Amino acid sequence: MEAAAFPWWIWPLALFAVTFLLGIVAVLAGVGGGVLFVPIVGGFFPFHLDFVRGAGLLLALSGALSAGPALLRGGLASLRLAMPLAVVGSITSIGGALLGLALPTSFVQAALGVTILAIATLMWRSKKSEHPGGVRPDALGEALHMHGVYHDPASGRDVDWRVHRTAAGFFAFAGIGVLAGMFGLGAGWANVPVFNLLMGVPLKLSVGTSGFLLSVIDTSAAWIYVNRGAVLPIIVAPSIIGVMLGAKIGARLLRVAPAATVRRIVIVLLLAAGARALLKGLGWWN
Amino acid sequence: MNDQQVYARWLDWGTRLSLAVLVAAFLAYVFGLTPAALPLAEMPRFWRLPLEHYLALSGSPTGWGWVAMLDKGEYQNLVGVALLGLVTVVCYLRVLPLLLARRERLQAAIVAAQVLVLLLAASGLLAGGH
Repeated sequence: MEAAAFPWWIWPLALFAVTFLLGIVAVLAGVGGGVLFVPIVGGFFPFHLDFVRGAGLLLALSGALSAGPALLRGGLASLRLAMPLAVVGSITSIGGALLGLALPTSFVQAALGVTILAIATLMWRSKKSEHPGGVRPDALGEALHMHGVYHDPASGRDVDWRVHRTAAGFFAFAGIGVLAGMFGLGAGWANVPVFNLLMGVPLKLSVGTSGFLLSVIDTSAAWIYVNRGAVLPIIVAPSIIGVMLGAKIGARLLRVAPAATVRRIVIVLLLAAGARALLKGLGWWN
Repeated sequence: MNDQQVYARWLDWGTRLSLAVLVAAFLAYVFGLTPAALPLAEMPRFWRLPLEHYLALSGSPTGWGWVAMLDKGEYQNLVGVALLGLVTVVCYLRVLPLLLARRERLQAAIVAAQVLVLLLAASGLLAGGH
């Protein structure tokens, strides 16, 4: 049935319902809402991808800003670690946003599909290291004071952390910024592996700092979409409200829900949404 | 209180305020308490269009042009959005003097550079087109 056959209010209401569920699932699976929102809403709702990407960035930004205070207060995010990388990521996210708004929609849609399929594969195959060993601090990381101590509440001990491969980390976050800006995705799916596996940051600090970093990178890109007029409140507001409420429920379910099963469901969702975006971009399934 | 704790406190209040403004403005807009520039019933015609077509057809402003249209419901929502986009700038500006007072010049320079990048993005000077 044609989307135009429905009254206008069905779509914001459906958006609220879907984003509410995404909020629950995102918390349980440990991913940001943006990475699910853009391909699913872009693929299955009647909104143009330009507006969906703008909403996706604001959605990811709202979640990151809301989670930030608790993470910073608890020492599970580090300003010192994030600040230098955020400058690079925010500059490239502006470039990504401008590029995404300049390229033909079909190209962006197909590239989004490929990116989402790659993210699903990364989530499926990626390893994690709770406390990476063998970190040999480099001169750049030391000069930027990228080191510290955080208290791990689970083990009850203080963990001394430092970074290595700092230059490679800067390059990686430059690339992540481009993808975040171009596709309107939050970038937690990429931040955590780069912090943890590339730079040797302990896993919990990687997850917490990723959220903080995302709030800075997404702010820069979001302004480009706002200034270009690509932010429609009728799409943005129900999405933010839905995801935030869903995330609260998800946080309550966290103790009892089977996280591994939810994560597998998210990977299947990403594969389906990525395939849909790719086929839509190629003009094979409109 | 260290710079991270100060940042967290300002971030907490800034985010709460921004989201409260956004939700209040949206409820007023969607329940018709404030007049809309584009009738809600017409939105399905617009939200499916590529950005350039939407702007041309709707006459919607770009950059900070929406500030002049704050009597309309949809643009009141952008106040909440803009606040969300400014929270990080305010938090960075709050910790900058703390870093300078401790003579942490490199960290202060990084914070200043970040503020400049964010303000440049917010200014509208960088917004290109198709």
